[in-house]
Amino acid sequence: MKQISRQLSATLLLLSLLFMAAHAVACSAVEVEAPWIREAPPGAAVLAAYMVLNNTADTQSIITRIESPDFRDARIHRTVVEDGVAKMLSVEHLQVPAHGSVTLEPGGMHLMLFNPLRPLQAGDSVTLVVHESNGDSVTVQAPVVRMTDEHDHAHHH
Amino acid sequence: MISHRPSPISRHILKGVIIALLATAAGIWTARLVLQKQDARNELSATRFPVARDIQPFELVDHNNEAFNNASLQKRWSFLFFGYTYCPDVCPTTLSVLNSVAQRLQDVDEELRFVFVTVDPERDTPERLAEFVTYFNSEFIGVTGTEPGLEQLTSQLGILHVRVPAEPGSESYLVDHTAAVFLFDPAGRYHAVFSPPLSAEKIAGDFRKMLKAYQ
Repeated sequence: MKQISRQLSATLLLLSLLFMAAHAVACSAVEVEAPWIREAPPGAAVLAAYMVLNNTADTQSIITRIESPDFRDARIHRTVVEDGVAKMLSVEHLQVPAHGSVTLEPGGMHLMLFNPLRPLQAGDSVTLVVHESNGDSVTVQAPVVRMTDEHDHAHHH
Repeated sequence: MISHRPSPISRHILKGVIIALLATAAGIWTARLVLQKQDARNELSATRFPVARDIQPFELVDHNNEAFNNASLQKRWSFLFFGYTYCPDVCPTTLSVLNSVAQRLQDVDEELRFVFVTVDPERDTPERLAEFVTYFNSEFIGVTGTEPGLEQLTSQLGILHVRVPAEPGSESYLVDHTAAVFLFDPAGRYHAVFSPPLSAEKIAGDFRKMLKAYQ
């Protein structure tokens, strides 16, 4: 009887730990809105992902990294055009203000995805994991979308 | 003998008035013409050169491994954009914009040419460019070549392209590059430049105006 109760309490403890872990993921203060990946020409070595990061908390959230198991590497970049010259700058981390948002969109900030581990076409789905500095993370599925002209661009705003 | 004919003095005055009126009308007419021309020029968001510029010889290759040089810019209006295939944001966006320009100008009684010139000839082989540019439009032309060949063209257009490491100490690199679209007339001369931010609507609209002025 004692043994059973010990086993039971161990199971309950494990369950509650699992629940807490799941709770932490689900309760991340950051919500990822409308994530999408721009379909690239066949054989492309780099792709870009876009999304809106909403912070539902009362405190600022710092995004340290966004990664994808479908790519060898992923980095947050910002496109700037200075004196007519386009540059991509590395972004160390993203600060999402309390109850505010940060938008990753064409021509601005984007997640640069290096070397897809499988061929990706419009209609496919890619896993993205957004990591916060407090250890929370949120996992989302981002569809691969063909962007044919500016209408599509506007559509994804 | 009182004459009913106007006196020589009043005839002079009449002549003067007529000349003055004619001169005023001519002045207004000329001014309107000049202003209209200025208006047409002011309405352009592109920068058009008063006189199109000749391009000194350059030698590159297209995505079918055929020579691409001054002769390749003849007979059609050409839109040139400089970029590279390892560029995930600006370059695909611009090629989508140019595809949209091509669709918008389908009714124009001119054949057009759209050319993507790589600023990264080391990685962008003709084969790689073939896959890249034709994804956006099957008629688009990809151009690569040697660094000196590329320099022959970019230096004449004032195009900057600078290699920077993707991350500190990283072997992979990015290329900062001029993001404008360059327009060449059917004589292969540098006619105008569209500066970023690029919009298909503005490029197509400006091109129609420039075509009208050119004919």
